[in-house]
Amino acid sequence: MMTLLTNTHGLMHALSGAALAVSDEAGHAAGHASGPVAQTFAAGPMFGLLVVALPLLACILCGLCAMGRVKTKLPAFLTVLCLAGSFLVTLALYLQHHGQPAGTAWIIQGFEWIRLDYRQMVDSVVQSRSFIANFGLYVDSLTCLWMLFVTGLATLIALYASEYMSHDVGQGYNRFFAAFSLFVFSMACLVMADNLVLLYLGWEGVGLCSYLLIGYFYKKPSAVAAAKKAFILNRIGDLGLALGIMLCYVHFGSVEYKVIFEKCAPYMASLAAGQLDQIPLIAQFIPLCLMIGAFGKSAQLPLYVWLPDAMEGPTPVSALIHAATMVTAGVFLIARTYPLFLMSEYALPIVAWVGALTALLAATIGMAQFDIKRIMAYSTVSQLGYMFAGLAVLTSVGGAAHVFTHAFFKAMLFLACGAVMHGFAGQLDLRKLSGVGSMPGWRVVGIAMLVGCLNLAGFPIITAGFWSKDMILGEAFANSQMQAIGWILLLTAGLTAYYTFRVYFRVFVGPKHYEPGDEHHGDDHGHDHGHGHADGHDEGHQTSGKHGFHPHAPGWAINTVLATLAVAAFVIVPLVALNHGGWVKDMVGASSAQFNEKAAYLIAAKGDLHTKFFGFDAHKAMMVVSSIVGLIGIAVAFVLHYQGRTTAATSKADALLPAFGPIAKWAQNKWYVDEFYNAIVRMPLLALAQIFHWFDKLVIDGLVDFFGWTPRGLGGSLRPAQSGEMHTYAVGMAGGLAVMAVVVIVVLM
Amino acid sequence: MMERLAYLWPEIALFIGTCIVMVMGLSHNPAVRRLCSPICGIFIVAAGVLAAYTTPWGESAVSIAGQTLLPNMPIFAKVLISVVGLVLLLLLAGTVDRQEEGLIARGKRAFDPLRTNRAEFYAFYLFSLTGLMLCASADDLIWLFLALELTSLPTYIMVTLSTSANKSREAGVKYFFLGALGASIFLFGFAFIYGGTGTTNLNAIHASFVQNGINGIALAGLVMALVGLGFKIASVPMHFYTADVYEGAAAPVTAMLAFVPKTAGFISILLLCATIGWQYVPGGETALMPAVGVQGVGGTALPEPIRVLLWVIAAMTMTVGNVLAVMQASIKRMLAYSSIAHSGYMLVGVIVGPGNNTFATSGVSAVMFYLLVYGVMNVAPLAVVASLEKPARSDDEPTEPETLDDLRGLWKRRPALAGMMVIGSLALLGFPPLLGFFGKVPLFTAGISAGEVALVIILGLNSAIGAYYYLRLAAMPFLAETPGAVPSESYDLHPRTSRTFAAALSASAAVVLALAGSQLMDISAKAGYVDSRVNGMDRLQPFKPKLTSVEDGGRPANGAGAVVAPAN
Repeated sequence: MMTLLTNTHGLMHALSGAALAVSDEAGHAAGHASGPVAQTFAAGPMFGLLVVALPLLACILCGLCAMGRVKTKLPAFLTVLCLAGSFLVTLALYLQHHGQPAGTAWIIQGFEWIRLDYRQMVDSVVQSRSFIANFGLYVDSLTCLWMLFVTGLATLIALYASEYMSHDVGQGYNRFFAAFSLFVFSMACLVMADNLVLLYLGWEGVGLCSYLLIGYFYKKPSAVAAAKKAFILNRIGDLGLALGIMLCYVHFGSVEYKVIFEKCAPYMASLAAGQLDQIPLIAQFIPLCLMIGAFGKSAQLPLYVWLPDAMEGPTPVSALIHAATMVTAGVFLIARTYPLFLMSEYALPIVAWVGALTALLAATIGMAQFDIKRIMAYSTVSQLGYMFAGLAVLTSVGGAAHVFTHAFFKAMLFLACGAVMHGFAGQLDLRKLSGVGSMPGWRVVGIAMLVGCLNLAGFPIITAGFWSKDMILGEAFANSQMQAIGWILLLTAGLTAYYTFRVYFRVFVGPKHYEPGDEHHGDDHGHDHGHGHADGHDEGHQTSGKHGFHPHAPGWAINTVLATLAVAAFVIVPLVALNHGGWVKDMVGASSAQFNEKAAYLIAAKGDLHTKFFGFDAHKAMMVVSSIVGLIGIAVAFVLHYQGRTTAATSKADALLPAFGPIAKWAQNKWYVDEFYNAIVRMPLLALAQIFHWFDKLVIDGLVDFFGWTPRGLGGSLRPAQSGEMHTYAVGMAGGLAVMAVVVIVVLM
Repeated sequence: MMERLAYLWPEIALFIGTCIVMVMGLSHNPAVRRLCSPICGIFIVAAGVLAAYTTPWGESAVSIAGQTLLPNMPIFAKVLISVVGLVLLLLLAGTVDRQEEGLIARGKRAFDPLRTNRAEFYAFYLFSLTGLMLCASADDLIWLFLALELTSLPTYIMVTLSTSANKSREAGVKYFFLGALGASIFLFGFAFIYGGTGTTNLNAIHASFVQNGINGIALAGLVMALVGLGFKIASVPMHFYTADVYEGAAAPVTAMLAFVPKTAGFISILLLCATIGWQYVPGGETALMPAVGVQGVGGTALPEPIRVLLWVIAAMTMTVGNVLAVMQASIKRMLAYSSIAHSGYMLVGVIVGPGNNTFATSGVSAVMFYLLVYGVMNVAPLAVVASLEKPARSDDEPTEPETLDDLRGLWKRRPALAGMMVIGSLALLGFPPLLGFFGKVPLFTAGISAGEVALVIILGLNSAIGAYYYLRLAAMPFLAETPGAVPSESYDLHPRTSRTFAAALSASAAVVLALAGSQLMDISAKAGYVDSRVNGMDRLQPFKPKLTSVEDGGRPANGAGAVVAPAN
């Protein structure tokens, strides 16, 4: 007993000692360590809360619309209005924040959300401690960057959706925009949170909205299955995030960024000095947990499989949630907690490898798909891999810049694909569509698609995508530790250019031909095309499809949004191109995601930041090399899918397929990853469930039945004694007395 | 002697009421006759008020009345008896003489005192309550026996009178003869106890047990007394009569049988157990023979033979009651068996004893509380049954619903009654927010704190079995009527609305009292108080120091401490 007590005491002592050591060091170091992130904290303007409040208001208003059974487009315009308001507030917030000295982080205190006070024994002294998670916003330049494109794109896509979802007016329309607004609210919570618990709330909120919107067509089994798949896979990641947050609290004693960053300062100092071994092991586990959450939300290996299936949702959802914003939450998490990721020797290399391999794998799958929306989905997974790799090769600027540019061009690509899907009755197969861009009324879509494809392929100089991708590639090659990552990413860049333009050359140019999809028969979930655009057909449609079908070109809302995005895609070029990252660099550099002492960090890891690329400076060489790789990809696509193509269904590429043997088929079947997961995870679980089911049925139910039947059986055997005859009863009473007497005598013996 | 009167005002009031009712019921004037039940009610209320204000309790009960064993029990029991008695009266009204009065009113028959039963019925009811209150006041075995018989004898007659059907007569006869057999057994036991201790006074018997241990004669007497008293609470092996008698009587009388004799039985059993005292080491060597004196004293349990006896009775009673209830199709038979099972539950509290006199550990308090809970909630299902009647064909009496199937479709026809039935049966089952749940919890906690884990497990299993038939009773009103049944057999409401009112009272009490549970628990904890000083080794200490202190304190040294409180 004594030993046990002593041991317990010793353990407590050790634990509390560790906790104290942290605070001591923090107090000690705060004085002289300049810290890699010279962040200063100040109270921010309260109007910043409107950024979060307006989408919530929109959600509530849409809910009221649903209750009032509104059968007009009212909820859409309410949503657009509120989201535009949210964007303007964000803009105002940004402009005001911009006037502050660089590195200022505003804390906007909303209200006290969670506060638990308790006492804890530390070194035999009882200390009061508290767990605080306020509903407060943390506004620094990274927050501004993220919120600007989140609210801006959300506004545009809501406008697009107002037309796109018009077939559902009066039915799911209210529900759609309620979930849409709720998503923006959750995303704002996630990005603007001043503590990890509020981030977690937003994290779960966006997951929920994603689930609701993927399963929007809830009568369609594949949509329901996709929604469940997305939710469950995200849960796996969320477990990691939750553990990471708990570990943060255990180690730092707080979940607030402010406190965490302050307590990180001494670690950053030892990092800058190249002394990784000064950082306690427990702190090094935090990023390993957090990254699992990031991988789940951002669809990285091994949890990426949900994102392609998530395309079952309406296209605006795919564009906003599953391309531009929500899936970048993982990138945001790492960027926001960048100091924590630097603390571990292994965290960033793992992120780099996961990102690069995901990028390559998704690109190979994307090359072999025929569904254009799925191709875009795989390209999203692939580009997210790029972003992770960018963060991991120590260019948080590159990662963030790629998030920024990708948000624009990928949203545009999805919206263009959505317009095609909308116009051709759900047709998405690139073998059944051709020359769409030159059909009347489709010009804006065609141009938007071209701009998007150029960006995604990284067309040199004039596209934003080129500059952001280049930053990542250059930094990867400049880093002596990350050469392999660089090569993988370079290969991926070529593949990306190829499959992107494969879509463009097949669908948007070439001979005009189309087969409509099957969604104009009045499927309960489908896109109803009753509101005809009679000019949607022309002499050029050599329809082999269903008689009497006329594709209808997009209306003003869709065209406006596409045109705006196409222009924006060029407007943002200088924001990322000038001076190695331009505006984005300023934004990221003044936030927690910046780490200036890279060189020292790498020296500790025996690395080098100025590796030459075949004798040239890696950054400059990459601009040329990646341009060439991108152009080669485009050229290959041109030759294989445009030159001499006369029908929609076939191209020269088909002739090459046998040369790849089974590889092409494997890629087309997504490398059988789903089947693999099915076999190693789902099947064993189902088998276990069967075992438990039968155990329950046979043993537990059997037991219950036994207990159910025993009383009846017992009662049946006792019943004859209740004969109704008085003398029987009297004998029973007397006999019972005798038995009781025997019982007492037995006890006395 | 006069101070004993302070104990007996409620009984005296009831007795006066009995005499008045007995005379009024024979009046030629129907209006006077009709006043019987209100007069009855007035006297029950008066008895309750008198009980609340005049019954001594606590230290005064010890010093004035010499009621040292369970000093707070009488006041609780008497108030409880008045309250439940009043509800039962609401239910009993209109049971007898409906035909006869109808014929008289229509001029078909002249009033004949020999043909009417009203006077007897109400008078016997008050007699029975009087006997019940006297049980609570008992401090002597002879008093106790007479009180028990005063409780029971009127019930035999009430069962017989309750309907004009033959089965009521059969039930009355069975009840009488078997009751006589049961009474003879515990009377035999009382005689043995007297033989073993040389006294019939309960306090003196207790003193004898404490000083000389329990000898063989006394032990035999205790066994016979406890088993025989089992007839009153319908415990194994004295339970055989229950189903037949409950079924034969009219539903209001059944409800009364489930409360009045049972309460008398439990009060008596608790008094008898208190004479032995929960002061023995559980499972240890017993202090039985005079030669070994008080060996084994110092624990918190009954002596081992008595504990095992009650343990076996409790386990068998709840099991037999429940498994037989599962089989029943008749509502009243089912409730009869469930009444047996409830007695088994309460015996757990008797075995556990007072613990440390807190509500959570005291089995005696749990029994007190359960008597209240059971008395209140048991009324509801039977009152619902009593509120319904099948119109008679000719001059026959209207009949009550008999089988569970007769309740089918009640929800559609009479949702209020069906709701009361549901609440009542769920409360009896012990469904959590309702009163029955709060009744059972202390039995569990006290049982566990006393280490009677096996018995508590049996209690839990039996509660689960109980759920089977109580849920059937609760669900039956919602089921569609059986296709084969004659649809015209819909039941009318009994003309006496007081019955429906009783059902509503009981059902709402099952909800409302659950909310007021903590106050009731506090009161029950006080009611079940057993003075450990009185009950333990130093049983006679409070009296002896008084004498010595008077002698020594005649000349106090410094003027202080001259008076020592008797219970100090």
